[in-house]
Amino acid sequence: MAERITSSEDSRRVALSFDIGGTFTDFVAVDVDSGEVVAQHKVLTNARFPARGVLRGWQDMAQAGLRGGDITYAVHSTTLVTNALIERKGALTVLLATRGFRDVLELARQQMYDIYDLFAPPPEPLIPRPLRLEIDERSDAAGQILLEPSPESIAAAVEVIRNSGATSVAIAFLHSYRNPTNEQLVARDVREALPEIAISISSTVAPVVGEYERTSTTAADAFTRPGVRDYLTELERALQDSGVTAPLFLMLSSGESASANTAREHPIRLLESGPAAGAMAAAYYGTLHGVADMLSLDMGGTTAKACVIEGGRPELAHVLEVARVRRFMAGSGLPVVTPVVDLIEIGAGGGSIARRDEIGLLRVGPDSAGADPGPACYGLGGTQPTVSDANLALGYLNPTNFLGGDIPLNRERAIAALGNLGSEMNLGADDIAWGIHRVVNENMAAAARVHIIERNRDPRDLTVIAFGGAGPAHAVPVARILGCRTVILPPGAGVASAFGALVTPVAFTAGRTRMLALHQADWDDLNATLSAIEAEARAEVRSAGVDDATAVVRRWADMRLEGQYHEISVDLPNGTLSAADLPQIQATFDAAYARQYGRVLTGLPIEALHWRVTVTGPDTSIGVHTQEVGDVDASAAITGEREARFHDGWQTTAIYDRAHLQAGMTFTGPAIIEEREATSVIGPGDEAVVATSGAIIVTLAGVATAAAAATGTEEQV
Amino acid sequence: MSTSAPITPATPSTGNTDAFDPITLEIMWSRLISIADEMWTTVLRTAVSTIIGAAQDFGCELLDQNGDSLAHSYRSMPVFNLIMPELTRQVVQQFGVDSMRPGDVFTTNDPWLCAGHLDDIAVITPIFHHGRVVAFANTVAHTSSIGGALDGLSVKDLHEEGFFMPLLRLYDAGVPNETLFALIRSNVRQPEMVLTDIEAQVTANVVAAERITAFLTEYQLDTLVDLAATIQARSEQAMRAAIEAIPDGVYSAEEMVEAAGSPLKLVATVTVAGSDIDVDYTGTDAQRLAGGINCTFTYTRAHTVYPLKCLLTPGIPNNEGCFRPIHISAPERSVLHALPPASVNSRTLTGWHMHTLLFRALAPAMPERVQAGNGLMYTLRAYARDEHGQPRNAHLICGGGRGAGFGHDGVTRNCFPSSAGHVPIEIFESRVPVLVDEDTLTADSGGSGQWRGAVGQRVTVRKHPDANLPVTFYVHPDRLRFPAPGLVGGSASQLNQVLLNGTNLAANGHMPSGEVTLRTADDRFTSIVAGGAGYGDPAQRAAEDIAHDRAYGYTSAGGGGGDAQD
Repeated sequence: MAERITSSEDSRRVALSFDIGGTFTDFVAVDVDSGEVVAQHKVLTNARFPARGVLRGWQDMAQAGLRGGDITYAVHSTTLVTNALIERKGALTVLLATRGFRDVLELARQQMYDIYDLFAPPPEPLIPRPLRLEIDERSDAAGQILLEPSPESIAAAVEVIRNSGATSVAIAFLHSYRNPTNEQLVARDVREALPEIAISISSTVAPVVGEYERTSTTAADAFTRPGVRDYLTELERALQDSGVTAPLFLMLSSGESASANTAREHPIRLLESGPAAGAMAAAYYGTLHGVADMLSLDMGGTTAKACVIEGGRPELAHVLEVARVRRFMAGSGLPVVTPVVDLIEIGAGGGSIARRDEIGLLRVGPDSAGADPGPACYGLGGTQPTVSDANLALGYLNPTNFLGGDIPLNRERAIAALGNLGSEMNLGADDIAWGIHRVVNENMAAAARVHIIERNRDPRDLTVIAFGGAGPAHAVPVARILGCRTVILPPGAGVASAFGALVTPVAFTAGRTRMLALHQADWDDLNATLSAIEAEARAEVRSAGVDDATAVVRRWADMRLEGQYHEISVDLPNGTLSAADLPQIQATFDAAYARQYGRVLTGLPIEALHWRVTVTGPDTSIGVHTQEVGDVDASAAITGEREARFHDGWQTTAIYDRAHLQAGMTFTGPAIIEEREATSVIGPGDEAVVATSGAIIVTLAGVATAAAAATGTEEQV
Repeated sequence: MSTSAPITPATPSTGNTDAFDPITLEIMWSRLISIADEMWTTVLRTAVSTIIGAAQDFGCELLDQNGDSLAHSYRSMPVFNLIMPELTRQVVQQFGVDSMRPGDVFTTNDPWLCAGHLDDIAVITPIFHHGRVVAFANTVAHTSSIGGALDGLSVKDLHEEGFFMPLLRLYDAGVPNETLFALIRSNVRQPEMVLTDIEAQVTANVVAAERITAFLTEYQLDTLVDLAATIQARSEQAMRAAIEAIPDGVYSAEEMVEAAGSPLKLVATVTVAGSDIDVDYTGTDAQRLAGGINCTFTYTRAHTVYPLKCLLTPGIPNNEGCFRPIHISAPERSVLHALPPASVNSRTLTGWHMHTLLFRALAPAMPERVQAGNGLMYTLRAYARDEHGQPRNAHLICGGGRGAGFGHDGVTRNCFPSSAGHVPIEIFESRVPVLVDEDTLTADSGGSGQWRGAVGQRVTVRKHPDANLPVTFYVHPDRLRFPAPGLVGGSASQLNQVLLNGTNLAANGHMPSGEVTLRTADDRFTSIVAGGAGYGDPAQRAAEDIAHDRAYGYTSAGGGGGDAQD
C-alpha cells in the first residue's frame, strides 16, 4: 500500500512521476506549490504489460488519497526500450539500404572486443540478413544526389516488406546526414504503398556521419517504434480513464523531458531514461546544497551507475552501446547515436555474486543473482554469496527492515553461503564478508576513477551523491577510496529516478553533421543548417506546451584539431555566424581544450563535425519541501544499536531511523541509518549533518580537501 | 643454429609470495590494472594522430623494478603487451637502475628491441619511490610517420624504412634531449603530430608514476617486489596448470607464407613437457634483406605468446608469470629471427601467419581450443588530389572472416590478430574523391566444415564522377596463393582477389605491383577479402545450420554445405 499520503480537503496541484525499472515501478508525487513530497510508492513491474503495472500503482495511490484531478503534471521514465533491445522483443523490421550496403549492420566496426577470446561472438544485428534490402540510389559526401531512388527497386522492396509481415521499416542511405532527400522520397513511397507500417529514417533519427552507427541507431529506432507507440497510447488512455488528465511527459536519455508525441516520434531517445533521471536528481540535490561538481553513484541490485556532473549539469555523450553480448565489455553491443547522459555502468550491485577466480582471488560481480533467486539471504534458493549477504553479515542491513520488512532476510543462509566460499579460500565467513565489501567498493571506485580521469577531472574535487537501493551503504567507502571528502545522501534513495524526472525541464537537443575546417566554413550554409536544427528542436519543445518566448537556446558544436579523433563540445555565439566570430570560437575551443587536455596546441586548424542546438523550457519549479532548522538532539532518532564491521574491526553502532531525522541534527559515525528502501552506512569518525532538504551530508574523517591534498603530494616529492 | 630465448631472461622472482591475502591481493592487483587503463586513456585523449585515435594502435604497461610485466591495459594492442617487458629489461640492462634519476625518460623504435618495425615508438619511464626505482611505465604507439619509403614492399633494406632511434634518453632528469628532438623533427613527415603523440606517451607514464607512488604510500609499501612476485607466481601457476592439461608430446606444423610473391616456409616444433612449452622455429626459411617481410625475434616472441595465451589462459590478467613457462627459439637470420639490416616494415605478412601455424601444430593436442585459419585484414590506401591539386589520402581497413573452431562458426568481420577497427565508408569518401559501390559479405568465401569459417567481404571502388585526376591505391593483399587452411577436416577458405574492371591483377597468385590506378570514371577496382577456414567434417554440419547459411546467403545454392565453390 502507498505510504505517506497526507490528505487534504482542498484541491491542490500535484506533480506525479513514475519510473519503470527492471524489477520495480516507482512513484513519487510532489505538491507543486509547497514542494512537499505527498506520496512515494513502489509496485512490482509488470514486464509483459507495463502500463498495467503503472495503473495498479496509481490505483493504490488513489485509494490512499491522491486525486486524478489534482495531477497537473505527469512525467514518466522507463526501461521499456532498453529491455526490448536486450531481449530482442521488438517489431519485425526491414532495413532499406543503399545498393551494395545491406551488410553495414553485420560488418560493423570489424574490431575485436576481447583480444584473448578467439570466438567472442559479435552482437547479432537487430535485422536479419534476409530482411536487409537494397535500393538503387546514391548521394556523395557533399550531399549531391548522384542517383535518385529507382521506382523498380522501391517496388521490389515493398513486395518483400508486404510478404514478410514486417511492421516497421528502417531506411538508412549513405550520406543521408548530408542530404535527406532520397530517404524521404523512399519513405513517402513506402508509406503510400503500406500506410500502416512504421518508418524510421536515419536522416531524422541520427543525422550524423558514420554509416554503421547511424544505421544501427535507425534499426534500433524502427525495432522499438511500434512497441513504444502502442505502449504510450495504452498508457495515456489508462491514465485518462483513471482521471489523470494532465498531459504525459517522457524522460529522455539526454536528461531532458519531452511530450509523449516527441517520445512516440523518437522512441530510441527513451533509452536509459531512468538512469538519466537519476543523474538529474543528483544534480538537483547537489545544486540545492551549493555543490557544482559531483559524482552521482546509483547502486541497485545488479549494477551501479556513475556520472560526472560539472557545473550542476550532467555531461552529455552522443553515443551509447546497448544490448551488449558481454554486459560490461565495451564494443560488444549495438551502438546507438543519441544525446545521452554520460553514465558508466559497473557490474556492482547488491546481487553481485562473489567467487574464487582461476588464480585463487576473490572476485565480486559482474554476475548477479538478480531478484530471482536473489542473494542467499532472500531464502529463495540462492546459494552463492552476494554483496547483500556480505552487508547483512557485516551488520549493515537489518534483517527485519529490508524493503520495510517485505523481504525478511535470513542471516543464517547468508553466513552459510559466505562460509562455503570462505572454506574454499581458507578464510572465515566474516573475512569473506568484509572482503566482498572492500572488493565491490574498489571495483566501483576504479571504474568511476577512469570515467573521471577521461574528463580530466580530479576525483578529489567532486562530491559524491549516492542513491539507489544499495548506494547509501557503499557511498562513504567509495568516496574514501576516490579521495572525495563529502557525500550527500538525498532522501528517497529508492525513488531517485522518479524524483529526478520531476525536476527536469522540458528540452530537446537536435543536431547533424557538417564536417568542415572552421577557417574554410561556408557560413551561409552553416547558418541555414543551424536554423534548421533550431527549428526542429523548437518544434519538439513547443509540442510539450512551452511558449517560444520562454525557451532558452544553446548552440554548440563538436570540434577537434585536424587529425584528432576525439571531439570536444564548444558553445557557439548567438545570432548569425560569420568569419568575424572565428576569434571567439577559437578562444572558447582553446579554453575547452585546455580544460580537457591540460594544455593548448597551436598551429593546427580546428575541424568541426557535429552541430547541435538544445532548446530548454522553463524550470519545472517543483522543489523539495524546506523544513525549519531546529536545534534537535539526534539521539531522538536512534532506534537501537548493533555490532557492525568497519576498517578497524567490529564496533557497536547506533541505528537511526531516517524518518525521525530532522534538519540540523548532527551525529558522528559509526552510524547506520535505516529507511524503507535503503540503508546508509557512515564510518567511524565521519561527521553527518541533516540538511533542510532532508539530505544527510557526510564529511569523511581524514580526507583532506583537494587543495590540501595537492600540497601534501608536493611535499612528498 | 638456434639461439635460445629470452634474450634478456626474466629475473627469477625473489619476493615473498605469501605476503598478501587473496582479498587484499585482488584489490591491489585490480588497482594496478586500473592504473594501466588510466595510462591508456591518457594517451587516447592527448594524442593527435588518427592511427592512435581511430585505429587505437598502441599499448600501455606497468612493469616491476626488473622490467618484468605486472599489468597492461585491457585495451592495449595485444602484441605490444608482450614486447614491453623484453624492452624494459633491455633498458635496465643497458643503463642500470643505479644510473637512473627521477625525470629520466627513455625511448627507442629499434625493431629488435621494440615492436618489430620502425613505426612503433616506445617511451619508458622509471618510477621512483623513496629514491629508488620501484617500477617502470612503458607505452608503445604506432607513430603517424617515421620517414622512409611510402611503398613498404619496395624497400631494399632497413635503412630505406625510415628514421632509426636506438635506445636513448629522451629526457635526462627532466631535461629534454634537444639533439634527439631535433633529429626526430628533421626525419619524419609530420613532425608536430609525431612529437605531440610522443608527448602523450610521456604524459601517460607520468600519470602512472603518480598513481604508483600514491598506491605504495597508501599500502605502506617500500617496493613492489613482493606484490610483483605474488602476481607473477599466481599467473604462472595458472598458465602451468593449463599447459599440464595438454598431453606431453612434440607437435609440429608447417605453413607457407606468400611473402609478396616469393613464398617461404614457416616451421614450428612445439614440445609440451609437463608444465613447460618449448616452441622452436628451426626449419623456417632464411630472412630476405628486401621487401620488409622479416620478423625480429622480439616480434616473433610476441606472436608466439599471443596465440598461446588465447589457447591457454584467455581469462587471466596477462603478466610475466604467464610467459615464464613458454620458451621460444628461432634460427638467427631466419625470417623469424631476422638480423639487421634486413627490412622489417611489412612484418605482419609473415607474423600474422604464426597463429595459424601454432594452432595447426597444437590441433591434435587441444582440438577443442584451436582455431582454423583466418582471412586476415588488409588495407586499401588511396592517394588522390582534390580539385585544387592538394594531395589527399585515406585508408580503408577491411577485416577478413575468421576461422572456425570446435563448436563455433568463425567470427565474421574482424581484423584479428590486430585489434584495429574499420574506417567508415562515409569518412573514406569524404577524404578522397571515390565512391564505394559495394561493401558486402561474399557468399562461399569462408571454408566449410562442421563449423564453417566466417565469410569475407567484397569492396568495389570507383572514382567520383567529378574527379578529373586519377586515384591511386596501394594494396598488399595476402592470401592470393595460399588460402586460410582448415582444421580437423574443415576446408580452406577462398582466396583473396584483386580485380581491375574484372581482370584479376593477381592471376598467378601474386600482384607484381601493389599499385592500382583508376583513370576513368568507368574503372572499377574490386577487392575480395578472404573468409576464414572451416573446422571439422562438412558432412557433419547440422541441417538447420546449412539451411540458415543458405537463407542468409553465406553460402550460395551451388555452394552447399560442402566445398566452397569459386
